[in-house]
Amino acid sequence: MDDSTKLFLQRFMRRIPSYMLRTTLEKWGRLTAAQQKSIDFTQSKWALTEALLTICEENKLAMKHLIELEMIYIMDNPNQGMWYVLQLLDPEDDAHSVELMQFKEQFKSHLKELVRHVSIKIKNHTDQAVWIRIAWGDAFSRPNHLKPTFGVHYLQTPYVFVTNLTSKQKPLLSQAVVLSTRYQAIKDANLSGRKLTAIRDLLMRKYQQVFPTKYPSPLAENNQTISNPHIVKEQAEPAANRLHMACKAFGGGALPQLQSAVYKLKTKFRDDPNKTMTEREEPFRCVVKFESTNLLESLRHCASSGIASTPVTPLLSCIPLKGRNYFVITDNDSGPSSQTHQPQN
Amino acid sequence: MFKSVSGFCLLRPISTPDMERHRNSVTSKSKSYRMSYRSSLGAAASRLGLTPALTGRRLDTRRRAPKSHNITEKVNPEQLALLTKTEWQLSYVTPLYRFRHTQLKSYSGQLSAFIAAGKQQGLAVEVFDPQTAFRVSFSVVQGMTESDDDADTVLIQIHSKPLFARQDEPQKTVWSGLLTCVNANPEYLRSLPEYFICLPLFGSSGAEGLTALVKSWFQQSFDCCFGPLEISHTSLQWLMALWTNCHTESSIQHLKMIWTLPAVPPLQVTYTVNPEDAWELWSSVRKTRDKRGGEEEENCIDIEEVTSFMQGLKSHFYRHFKLDLSAGSLNQVSTALGSAKSSGRMKISNSRYMITTLALLTECALFKMPI
Repeated sequence: MDDSTKLFLQRFMRRIPSYMLRTTLEKWGRLTAAQQKSIDFTQSKWALTEALLTICEENKLAMKHLIELEMIYIMDNPNQGMWYVLQLLDPEDDAHSVELMQFKEQFKSHLKELVRHVSIKIKNHTDQAVWIRIAWGDAFSRPNHLKPTFGVHYLQTPYVFVTNLTSKQKPLLSQAVVLSTRYQAIKDANLSGRKLTAIRDLLMRKYQQVFPTKYPSPLAENNQTISNPHIVKEQAEPAANRLHMACKAFGGGALPQLQSAVYKLKTKFRDDPNKTMTEREEPFRCVVKFESTNLLESLRHCASSGIASTPVTPLLSCIPLKGRNYFVITDNDSGPSSQTHQPQN
Repeated sequence: MFKSVSGFCLLRPISTPDMERHRNSVTSKSKSYRMSYRSSLGAAASRLGLTPALTGRRLDTRRRAPKSHNITEKVNPEQLALLTKTEWQLSYVTPLYRFRHTQLKSYSGQLSAFIAAGKQQGLAVEVFDPQTAFRVSFSVVQGMTESDDDADTVLIQIHSKPLFARQDEPQKTVWSGLLTCVNANPEYLRSLPEYFICLPLFGSSGAEGLTALVKSWFQQSFDCCFGPLEISHTSLQWLMALWTNCHTESSIQHLKMIWTLPAVPPLQVTYTVNPEDAWELWSSVRKTRDKRGGEEEENCIDIEEVTSFMQGLKSHFYRHFKLDLSAGSLNQVSTALGSAKSSGRMKISNSRYMITTLALLTECALFKMPI
């Protein structure tokens, strides 16, 4: 084992929590049953690393084997780092028939044509996802396995999820993906989040959908004994109405966990009662970022509790509808009096 | 010596809620405020009695637009660098009894000994070791005053060696503190009894254990008391306006506000405005004011202007998101000139506007004080 391989294993051991090590090693399957048994998982990380290094030496395991180990860990725990979404555009006629082996071969050969030193590993995950691990090098250096890019593509869908991709590497990866999936173009889908599963569910509509017919009547039944029925009745109606509106915009069930949404506003400033800056024609530039541990849940609560006026503005409700969380907003060209805005691509 | 003034501490629980209530009741009436401020100051002599005489005080509703002070010539550059690079955790301090700017050297020795003793008692976590003993230095910051009545600013630094340092390694500053008074109300200062020095604004930066030790040494030595100085919603708005007002002289780069809305889970909104557009909105607010009342002086900013500036920003936001920011709380404002958090953390990045910002904070500290 050379030094870089040792370093890779040390770094990996530092990242993985001790309690996950046993199952990850079992899935890896490069250790004999006896070796697996010999490891005392209650030891310190340092001692565990030493033990594992010895076993890897014995079994003559190399970098390519250790990469597998890392991939197993990341595939099981994908909710780390920031994931971004790329969207493929204009499929060729045969795009829907691309299958795994073909994609694998094509992707590898296209990317290797673009970059001289690159190490690519592709694995098929249980839920039909194709996982791609890329360690990048350049003309003079060998691939750096310590800072790999991960990509996840669901075959027959136009989405590619990436993490740890630099702006230099992005065009290279994009080109290889476009060619090997039989599409013609690729663009930023303006969606990002820390939870891969959440942004995937949002795009692929794998959460409880909004069906307007599901909320036909705004008034919920209330059988509780009440102190002043008039007041309660008075307040129940708008409250139920708000809840109705909130659910209409965001659905009633659990929502995918997004952490943030960003709006770049370039719209005319209007502060009607005060008449400030009325003569100014240029747009007022500002950036608004919403953050929460579960953004959609927070926004739904804002609407149902009355912090936000209902009906919910399309600017907010289009986060789940369009599956995006980055928007540039400008005034419509239809005329200066228009109050509506259109999220631009 | 301590008994004679212990009334300071006794008054605290009684007057604080009272003050708050009073402040709330007069917020809308800006004229009546000056009367009560004056009249309360007139009664200052009886302040040591048990009547909470100063309850009428509230924050200024007008202030002079910040002049850029070139204090780089007056203030020692090393001290200035420390003042601008540090984020201070703010507190208020009641007037110090028998504090003398001429005794700083002996204070350094006393505080070093006090810290050593405190550490040995096991008040703080670290284990005491003479090798890593704390060396305290008090120094006067010259040129940081606005009026002749202001007491000179005092800077406290605690130096120590890191726990595992080599023998020859020099000591590092592990804690810094600041006691200051900029442009405090002169009538209030003159009304203080003899031997009292008013340095109402205390800023600290460093380990909390050391902050607690320094505070308790001050309490014992000068019979004063400390309290947390949160930066109120109004003060944050003032800072936004004062900073934006400076934009033409030194760029604010951005105007950033952080709000928290009480949704479940909590929703944080970061609202960042382009500097030129913020400035234009501010001057538009100023212009409207000029049309309304012509006789007012150029350089004064009114609280109405500050609130309508904020109102403008809020209504622009509401127009897009149908979310009312007033439902939440403003936690933080920042520009290239500085940043302030409602929890009482303050950083002044540009020395030219340090005096103005410290004057506002001095006023907040005096206002927050329980006497």
